[in-house]
This record gives sequence, structure tokens and C-alpha cells, in this order.
Amino acid sequence: MNVPYVPDPSLDLVMERIVDVPPDLVWLAWTSPAHLRQWFCPRPWTTAECDVDLRPGGMFRTVLAGPAGERHEHLACYLEVVPGARLVWTTLLEPGFRPSPRQDTSGVPHFTAIITIEPHGAGTKYRAVAMHRSPDGRATHDTMGFHDGWGAAFAQLVELAPGWQAR
Amino acid sequence: MPNQTQQLTAVFSALADPTRRAVLARLSAGPCATSELSRRFPMALPSFTQHLGVLEASGLVTSRKVGRVRTYTLAPKKLQAAETWLAARRTEWASRLDQLDSYLTTLRKERS
Repeated sequence: MNVPYVPDPSLDLVMERIVDVPPDLVWLAWTSPAHLRQWFCPRPWTTAECDVDLRPGGMFRTVLAGPAGERHEHLACYLEVVPGARLVWTTLLEPGFRPSPRQDTSGVPHFTAIITIEPHGAGTKYRAVAMHRSPDGRATHDTMGFHDGWGAAFAQLVELAPGWQAR
Repeated sequence: MPNQTQQLTAVFSALADPTRRAVLARLSAGPCATSELSRRFPMALPSFTQHLGVLEASGLVTSRKVGRVRTYTLAPKKLQAAETWLAARRTEWASRLDQLDSYLTTLRKERS
């Protein structure tokens, strides 16, 4: 049974981008280690190692290197691979669908990512959804108090809240 | 500090329910009495009261009883903690996708 995606605005990020490149190139950038190494890790960190076994149950592993010589391994498992169209992986499972014994993935809370890619004119529209488990453990402390932002998540909540109308 | 984690977990479980999110949305417009709030939701009063209890336990709302009327008020501080957590994740993904987009542009130039 295909369960439709229902966003949870308190735990999910939904990002949509339109780029002026063909869909096959976008797919390649998300799935080839040589390409992933160039962009996947938010700077100033870099992707030191990247392994991709592109099939459901296959390994998606990155080792991120920090500016002070830190090395963080992120191990994930692909769940769905539809070439050129849809890629799903999760850090909650290790390769071979084995449940992860870790509390988080090197300090980043566990997540499932869904990438969908479709042609858009001569270019591509892609959507990245990151679904998080509610935060626990140390990772929460690291980010608390780091940002004074207030409003974006709440605006989303208000917008999506069903069952009431303003009078 | 572990206490802080527990509190944040309570906030997230409170937010996981659409009825409770709708109550928060209503309270963002201002304080509201139980009777008026419950009129907006098609469910039995005991179930609705339970939702209000979860919200109050999480710290997302506070309530005050004056005479026989209990009034609920939004407590934005707790919601802010949840927002802060997600904002950090958003920053990370946004910077990742920015890098992808500029990398894709480079690739396209190389290929043409």
C-alpha cells in the first residue's frame, strides 16, 4: 500500500528548487559519489569519503571532515531508487535494512530524506523532504539557543492547522 | 540539561497531533476559554480536555481558572525551543541545496 506523504510542520523540512539543468544531471549529482563529494556537505565541512550502493537496502555512507580535523561518519540505507525520479534513504536503518543502534547520526538527529525530481520546462524541479524523529539526546543541546528565530515554524503550523476558522 | 531534552520531547509529542496544532493556532489569536475552544472541535469534551491537558503539560499553553471559567493562553517560549531546533536543520539543508545548485550550474557549463 502506498501511504501518501503527510507533512508534520514541527518535524519536517520541505524544500523545492527549480534549476536550469536537465533532470538526468540532477539525478547524477544526487547519486554519484564523485559528484556528491563536490557539494553534499555544508561548508566549511567537506565530504572526505562517499560510498553509494544504489538499490533498496544499499549503503549510503559519507564521512564528513571538519575544519579542525573532525571526522563524522554518516551511515544510511536506501529505501527507494527510481532512476531519474525518486530517491529515498534513511539514517534510522543501516545498509541491509538493519536498524541503526545509534542514538543519532554523528550528532545530527536521525532523518529520512525523499528526493523527487521532475522535468520543468528545459530544466528540473526537485523537492527534498527531510523528515525528523522528535529530537533527543545530545544533538538537541548542541543546537538549542543557537538561533533566535521565531515564527517560521509557527506560521506553518497556523497555516496548516485544520479545524478552525478565524472569526 | 537532561530535563531540557525531556521538555523538548514533550513539546514535539504535543505538536504531533493536528487537533492540538489547531488549538495552538486558535490561541495565537489570543486567550480563549475551554467552552469556546471546545465548540470549534467536533469531539467529545473529555477527549478534548485531554488534548488541552497534553498541551499544558508540555508547557506550550498555560491556563487560569477564574470562577468556573478556565482560560487558556499560548506560552510561546516552549514553541520557540522547537522552532530553534528545526531552524538549525533548515539552515543545514538550505546550505546543502545552495551548494548543489551552484555545482549543477558548473556541471552544465562544463558539458556545453
